[in-house]
Amino acid sequence: MKLVHYINFFLIFVFLIAICVIEENLVSTSLESVQNQCCKIENYLVEKDSLKQTELVLMVDNLEFTWTEQESKLCYLVNHASVKEIGYEVSHLKGYIENDDIDAFKVALQAIIFYSHSYLHFMGANFHNIL
Amino acid sequence: MFTIIIRSILIYCIVLLVFRLMGKRQLGQMQPFELVLTLIIADLATIPMADVSIPVLHGVIPLLTLVILHFLITLITRFSTFISKVLSGKPVILINPKGIDYKAMKKLNLTIDDIFAALREQGYFTLSQIQYAIVETNGKISVMAKSEFSPPTCQDLKVDVDENFIPITLICEGKILKENLALSNLSEEKVKEIVKRQTSSKIKDVLVLTIEQSGDGYIQLKSGEGKSFQEERLVAS
Repeated sequence: MKLVHYINFFLIFVFLIAICVIEENLVSTSLESVQNQCCKIENYLVEKDSLKQTELVLMVDNLEFTWTEQESKLCYLVNHASVKEIGYEVSHLKGYIENDDIDAFKVALQAIIFYSHSYLHFMGANFHNIL
Repeated sequence: MFTIIIRSILIYCIVLLVFRLMGKRQLGQMQPFELVLTLIIADLATIPMADVSIPVLHGVIPLLTLVILHFLITLITRFSTFISKVLSGKPVILINPKGIDYKAMKKLNLTIDDIFAALREQGYFTLSQIQYAIVETNGKISVMAKSEFSPPTCQDLKVDVDENFIPITLICEGKILKENLALSNLSEEKVKEIVKRQTSSKIKDVLVLTIEQSGDGYIQLKSGEGKSFQEERLVAS
């Protein structure tokens, strides 16, 4: 076997490792950042009776922006259909603010946290996923 | 639709690259582990091609992983005869001078019809003509005929013959193949001279021109029949 073959296979091997590392990093950073932002919003809402707060709107805007940005990156590596629920719930948050529907808002936040937590589990490299 | 077209082109190129990396054996005689890889590759390649929600990388990564796996298996089989036997099996003598080895036939899950078909493919129609038949690791059957049924060779006939050489193609569809010119030690002018002498036509009108080391050649024009000719013996390069 020629040296060039060994180099080719080595490059493919490095590429595979790099993709795995990038995927692991991207999935954990993006889902954790979404999770953290949702937790912040949840904490902010603890003593609030209304959703009509400028700071809350900014936080939701930020969450929406973060998710859109992260989702476009995630789509290179993960099945788009697997992460659509988070986007679906995020897109509803603003509507709840307009209607001042605090209960639905909290449920949506919980759903986002739940989905991001479960995706984090099934997209990561672990023994359960392998089997 | 445009996405699917681009994805299809991309995946086609990657599968092509994968097969090139795996070597020529993948295209012809395959060992069992190579056949398994080929079947998986065919299936993997189609998944991200049609479903746009699946990233192309989901098809590419398994393909490249299989390339690495194939490389490792090839490397291991080269260094370990035992693993090579485990993965590829070993050739089995199916017919020996005593006849068909029935145990081997059953072990290989072959029928008499399969054996006859394989023998007929090799040009032998009765078992009495066969000295040995061996089932190779890639499933092909190699046949060794009994001496009295083997075609006589020049050595058997004690006939002196010239050494055989591969004919060198000098012109293909009106174009001189410059790489082959070097092999034949002929100049472009000399080739033009041969063409003119044999056909009185131009290079662009020639369909094919081949020449052997012995000087035996064959030329055919695009609008005509082929003919053999004899030139000076070529100087060995």
